[in-house]
Amino acid sequence: MSRDAHEQARELMALGEGLPEAQQARLRIHLEECEACRNYAEAAREAVRALRSLSLTADARLVRATQMRVRFHAGRLRETRERTWLVGIACLTVGISAALTAPLVWRLFAWVGEMAGVSNPVWQVGFALFWIAPTVAASALFLVHGAHGIGNSDVFRE
Amino acid sequence: MNAAAYYLVTPMESEASAIARGLRRRDPDLLDRLIEEYQHRLLRYLVYLTGNRELAEDLFQETWIRVLERGHQYDGRHEFSTWLYAVARNLTIDYLRRKNPVSLDGLMEDEERAPGEPADTRPEAWEVVAQHEQAERINSALISIPAEYRETVVLRFQEGLALEEIATVTGAPVGTVKSRLYRGLNMLMSRLKGAQA
Repeated sequence: MSRDAHEQARELMALGEGLPEAQQARLRIHLEECEACRNYAEAAREAVRALRSLSLTADARLVRATQMRVRFHAGRLRETRERTWLVGIACLTVGISAALTAPLVWRLFAWVGEMAGVSNPVWQVGFALFWIAPTVAASALFLVHGAHGIGNSDVFRE
Repeated sequence: MNAAAYYLVTPMESEASAIARGLRRRDPDLLDRLIEEYQHRLLRYLVYLTGNRELAEDLFQETWIRVLERGHQYDGRHEFSTWLYAVARNLTIDYLRRKNPVSLDGLMEDEERAPGEPADTRPEAWEVVAQHEQAERINSALISIPAEYRETVVLRFQEGLALEEIATVTGAPVGTVKSRLYRGLNMLMSRLKGAQA
């Protein structure tokens, strides 16, 4: 009997249950003929039995702590999602209203510039500043709020 | 599909897709139930993966946080346990890479401690000692096997995963899983034999 045949039989044994019928038959025939592999099979069964006899369980404290942490974290994720949604809606509303009112405000600045007798570049710069001021203010606000949020999560992690 | 196959497959599929739906909603009651259901299996896997009970308990909590955050990635087409083990495994590797840029093999460096105590079933005193010694012997044998072999052996023979499922969890081809199983079992047998002698 070749060394490969023993090796193959032992490899099949190591795969455990659920072998295809043909392989099972081949293994059975080999085991009937080979005492060394029968001993190997018995030792393998013993090792698996020993492994399965190990009992290792999670304690109730760990499970409760995990469930509480997961619930807390779920609440935080929900809040973040709601806040993101609100910010998204606000941005959309501001964008639409800005697009609609831009021509009117442009004309208003042009009229005020003409009344005040200032040159075109001056009232146009004024218009640009007026237009980006809310965005700059909102961005600053979000940055401050974001930094505050990160600070809080660090405290939580501690 | 015949009727028998239909009845065999459908409950698993519906259970898995119900879990997938619940995870997409981040349903806290579902998560509570899953934590209870998989507590022992997941902890056992992590303990034998890391060889360190304390670390395994930390990773156990982090795994469930990750399940909450990335639950939408579970498609319900595989068993939930397979996906859960893969999440736990990736988290363990991430943690170890952050701590020390090593592969799973590097786990061996920190594996002197026994991974856990056997459950207390309150038998006679001499039985307690004998059981304890037996568990110690098996634990030591198991822990002395390189991590990737140990992981495969534990997933196959303790957790009862199929070869394809182990391949999914570990990201290794089925052929590699088979050879790890063979070598791992050989190592376990020789270690157990050595401990007995």
